[in-house]
Amino acid sequence: MSVLTLLYRNIKWRFHNVFTIVITILQPMLWLVLYSAVAGQSMQGIGIENYTAFILPGLVVLVSFGACSSSGIMNYLMKADNSFYRVLIAPVKRSSIVLGQILEAVLCTFLEVAIMFIVSLFFSVRIASGYLGLLFIVLIVFMTAFFMSGLTYAISLCLPNEVIYETAMNTVVLPVFFLSTALFPGDKLSGGLAIAVNLNPFTHVINALRELIVQGNIVTKNILFVLTLLALMCCISFLWANRRLRKETSL
Amino acid sequence: MSAIQAENVIKKYKNGVQALDGLSLTVKDGEIFSLLGQNGAGKSTLIHILTTYLAPTSGLVTMFGKDIYREASEIRTQISCVAQRTSIDTHLSLTENMMFQSKLYKVPKDEAKTRMEILIACFGLERYLKYPVSSYSGGVKRRLDIALNMMSNPKILFLDEPTVGMDIQSRMAMWDMMKKIRTDFGTTIFLTTHYLEEADQLSDTICIMKNGKEIIQGTPLALREYLRKDILRISFSSKEEVKNCFQPLKSILALEESDLRQDKIITGLKNGHIDLEKASRWLLDHEVPFLGIEIVQPTLEDIFLRLTDDSGKGAC
Repeated sequence: MSVLTLLYRNIKWRFHNVFTIVITILQPMLWLVLYSAVAGQSMQGIGIENYTAFILPGLVVLVSFGACSSSGIMNYLMKADNSFYRVLIAPVKRSSIVLGQILEAVLCTFLEVAIMFIVSLFFSVRIASGYLGLLFIVLIVFMTAFFMSGLTYAISLCLPNEVIYETAMNTVVLPVFFLSTALFPGDKLSGGLAIAVNLNPFTHVINALRELIVQGNIVTKNILFVLTLLALMCCISFLWANRRLRKETSL
Repeated sequence: MSAIQAENVIKKYKNGVQALDGLSLTVKDGEIFSLLGQNGAGKSTLIHILTTYLAPTSGLVTMFGKDIYREASEIRTQISCVAQRTSIDTHLSLTENMMFQSKLYKVPKDEAKTRMEILIACFGLERYLKYPVSSYSGGVKRRLDIALNMMSNPKILFLDEPTVGMDIQSRMAMWDMMKKIRTDFGTTIFLTTHYLEEADQLSDTICIMKNGKEIIQGTPLALREYLRKDILRISFSSKEEVKNCFQPLKSILALEESDLRQDKIITGLKNGHIDLEKASRWLLDHEVPFLGIEIVQPTLEDIFLRLTDDSGKGAC
């Protein structure tokens, strides 16, 4: 019940600060519309028929990162206007406070991902795996956003101010994005680069989403692996966020 | 049963700062309790502990007989805190803020609506309903902050310097509001303030703390009687005049540095009217253009300055 109360309040915050939606979707949208159009022709040479469909999974992860990152900013703003303290001394479980914020970031991610999918329809992107595939996509996006928002929540409570937080987020996101299969197929990679890309959990998330969107075949083993990996990551990030929140009151 | 009982509370932060050093106090149910102390005395830390935000390093704090550390979740349903800075959500409307607070405290919806209407009327917020919260003045925001913290019908309301920065009219309106909260809602009020007049006007009990420890607790009247002796007050026309006369008068009246207050010398009478005569004679003999010399009862300010004086004789 408290989770829904906090979720409603956080949604109101998001729509009050609607620029956080615009800013976090702007860059992925530019990648989707401009980059995919420009690079698409070159990529046909290496066997990628629809490059927009190919990079859409990577951009889903990118947009999720942006939405969840802005959710961490909420902590700084709530600390500044003191409502953070008011909620902490209310009879609300710490886990509900964390969950209320994480779920808002997840919903924001879904809103932005939905916009990305609608726009990509104009670039002939279709979900090849049908309704079952769509269900798996929803589940994977949910878990990815859940993990990331837990992570950004915890990081926002570790770092002293929003400037350092934003800098840290921007420093992390691009290496993670480029060291994945977001923009290119990973099967031609070798050596240390291949290891780094394979160690990146988002590589597997992106590959799974790509299988569902482009290839149309649902490989149960791959999907299960990604869901298990994400479930584990979600647990770790949620527990860390919860722990950080508890630490706020043990100075 | 006391509303709050704190015994030998110590709080040492992880960075090594010791904010509370064996503080003990008692707050009676239904009273207005004021906590006075200089900056850094440990008032905010104490409020943070009492509102379950921080855990004490050691010591025992109970509220209505319950240990606030072990039974924090139960205690939280019975308290509310208006912090130094207003804590309203500017992205929510006035009514949304109040309903959000009631939901946090799991107040049934119908009860919350009725209570909201009462509080809006009680705190004079009707005319602000149609405006966004972000456009409110500081005083109105503060009123809303208190009103929404009353939504959960707390047994104890903590007010951390609620009138800081307010003009005198707003401050007096706030005093009326606090009295109303106590009488109409039966809420115990725990107040921290820098304004001695405020504590004097409102409080049933005053506690003065220094260096993380209480130094005296009692009714305003009892605190005045604590010093018992009358005070000699000499008023001068300027600060320079006071400084010029201080050293000579020091030898006559056995003054201390803390007796020098702006354009006045205020000191406890050591030898009754003899001190008054001696001082008057010296001032007249030296043709000092002083404004007045009188024997007065000590004010709360005198007591506060005497007790929090760092010259060593502070705690009487």
